[in-house]
Amino acid sequence: MPQGLSRALVAAAVLGAALASGAAEAAAQAPTTEDCLACHADRDLKREKPARGQPASLFVDGTALGASAHGALECVACHRTATAPHERLPRVRCADCHDKVEPALAEGAHGRRGAQARAPAPTCTACHGTHDVRPVAAFSIDTCATCHAGQVRQYRESIHGASRRRGDSEAATCRSCHGAAHALLAKSDPRAPTYHLNLPRTCAACHADPELAKRHNIAVGAVYQLYMDSIHGRAVTRSGLLVAANCSDCHGAHDIKPHTAPTSRVFRANVPGTCGACHAGVLKDYAQSIHGREAARGSARAPVCTDCHSAHQIRRTEAAPWQLDVIRECGTCHAESLRTYRDTFHGKVTTLGFARVAKCADCHGSHTIQSTSDPRSAVASANIVATCRQCHLAATPKFTQFQPHADPTNRARFPGLYYVWLFMTLLLVGTFSFFGLHTLLWLPRSLADRLRRGRSQPDPEP
Amino acid sequence: MSDRYYFRFNLYHRILHGMVIVSFLGLALTGLPLKYAHTGWGAGLSRALGGPFTTGYLHRFFAIITFTYFSLHLGYVLRLVLQRRPGIFWGPGSMVPQPHDLVQFVQHVRYFVGLGPRPRFGRWAYWEKFDYWAVFWGVSIIGGSGLLLWFPTFFARFLPGWVFNVAIVVHSDEALLAVGFIFTIHFFNGHLRPEKFPLDPVIFTGRVSAEDWRHEHPEEYERLEREGRLGEVAADPPPLWMRNFSRVVGFSSLAIGITLIWLIIWTALR
Repeated sequence: MPQGLSRALVAAAVLGAALASGAAEAAAQAPTTEDCLACHADRDLKREKPARGQPASLFVDGTALGASAHGALECVACHRTATAPHERLPRVRCADCHDKVEPALAEGAHGRRGAQARAPAPTCTACHGTHDVRPVAAFSIDTCATCHAGQVRQYRESIHGASRRRGDSEAATCRSCHGAAHALLAKSDPRAPTYHLNLPRTCAACHADPELAKRHNIAVGAVYQLYMDSIHGRAVTRSGLLVAANCSDCHGAHDIKPHTAPTSRVFRANVPGTCGACHAGVLKDYAQSIHGREAARGSARAPVCTDCHSAHQIRRTEAAPWQLDVIRECGTCHAESLRTYRDTFHGKVTTLGFARVAKCADCHGSHTIQSTSDPRSAVASANIVATCRQCHLAATPKFTQFQPHADPTNRARFPGLYYVWLFMTLLLVGTFSFFGLHTLLWLPRSLADRLRRGRSQPDPEP
Repeated sequence: MSDRYYFRFNLYHRILHGMVIVSFLGLALTGLPLKYAHTGWGAGLSRALGGPFTTGYLHRFFAIITFTYFSLHLGYVLRLVLQRRPGIFWGPGSMVPQPHDLVQFVQHVRYFVGLGPRPRFGRWAYWEKFDYWAVFWGVSIIGGSGLLLWFPTFFARFLPGWVFNVAIVVHSDEALLAVGFIFTIHFFNGHLRPEKFPLDPVIFTGRVSAEDWRHEHPEEYERLEREGRLGEVAADPPPLWMRNFSRVVGFSSLAIGITLIWLIIWTALR
């Protein structure tokens, strides 16, 4: 049937029915859904002049409409000016009903003019559909994936996505970090939950909860509290430093993975690269050091950044507390060196909580550390005088013959010192044994003497 | 009953021994916190004294007192030599160990086990001579190693660096020997043995009663009596202030020493 004819027929039928009911005028202004579907149920109904960016089809799936969130509404609830028949209708304004959404949307990243000009544009219908408008509960990550396919693909491989797939309802989704879609702000917006300075608090919504960490086998329970006290956390929250690491700088955002996954940015072997993304100079030094070279060879015992600096409790390296703690950290691998260091003045003063004396890194270097047998080492014979002179300005080559890690009880390595130690030990044991016995023998005799004589005459008080 | 009193130590002796007490306790109190830095009491004592650097300054201050009394004593001996005082290096009044000291030591041990009478000690019993010479040994060993550690870059101009390793071991172990010896053996011999318990004030008052003198050093008393020289050392009884001074200084020193040695032993046994 030609389009014009069918329309005319419908119009005539509608008019007739209206006249019959005696409410011709009202009906003519507000056609019912049935009236509309009389034409729009036709799958072939098309625009005469298709507009750019709009579907040509004018077909309305009555079944889908009935099952939709708007199933109870008449067509004219949205298409307010529709009459039967009608020419081209103005665009539906969802905000006529959903008036609270509009201001939020206008603020958010999705409602911005720039976003709306893009194709596909994040219009109401792009996410919610048109006649098949879905209830919010029916939304899924696929809705976001329509535009943000790359991010969603990364997310699906992330720990959050994988946990969701396993049925973990606590795992973060798009909304958990980005907020609700209408008011959603771009991460460049200082008000956005994903803004650099706000992100730690956003992650903390879940990760500040030690109970959650326990439930999900996350090793570091109080991670948020630790981070906020760290140099990174303070720089972010107190100084508002955009270059200071927040959670995603180390862990990634959509591609966040557990530290046990080899593809994770915080996987042990990847840690130097992750830290080096900001600390490029340190990474360069470290990569050439004995620690860096061993770690690069795959040695599980060679320290990476986090072994000395920790992950979430990174502190100022210029301050005494860290400088003193890191001595113990060196000792977790170099136990023997720590033990002998503690026998020296340097080691005892640091034990007492003062950092003004030589600590491991003061002699051996920190990121540039080399094996003592390496000519590049700060304690190699070519460098050691200069190293000692950092503090002992008048240090001579003879001065540097001092063994800062001597063990007097080790005869094989320090024979001279061993015999000095042995002599002193025997001297002590001998003296105390001799006089100890002397005293023990004397005591009963002296007691008897005292009892016989009485106490020596009390002094006359003058 | 009133008793006659005689001088055993003159004022110079007493002042020097006072310096020994002050510097020795000072060195022990400021040195042990470093040696025992790994213990709670060592760290606490160090903190109470102002931390390791302040404690170090105090330690060297007391070391200077030590070097001072040591020099003063050497000067005193030199003066006696220049005055041609007889019996400094030999004889009954000398500090030099002599054959009769060995004999008396054997006699004393026999007395301990009930095989003979108490030996009749002269002015200096053998353990008193030991204490005296122990100071020479201690001051040279601890003082010498201490100077090495005080001025390492100076001594490293002509000494190899390993001497500092030796100095650390020697200074620390010899100090432990000195502290352990004074706070147990010397305290027992001088003050805590039942005949003298709890304190012999003679080193503070300088005066000894005739009865105590005859008990502790009968040979000396009788020799002077025989030679009619008792009058030369006759003294007034120690005045009350002097006896109170003895008690305050003496018991304080005993308390500090016994506390420290108790902490050392407790740490060793823990």
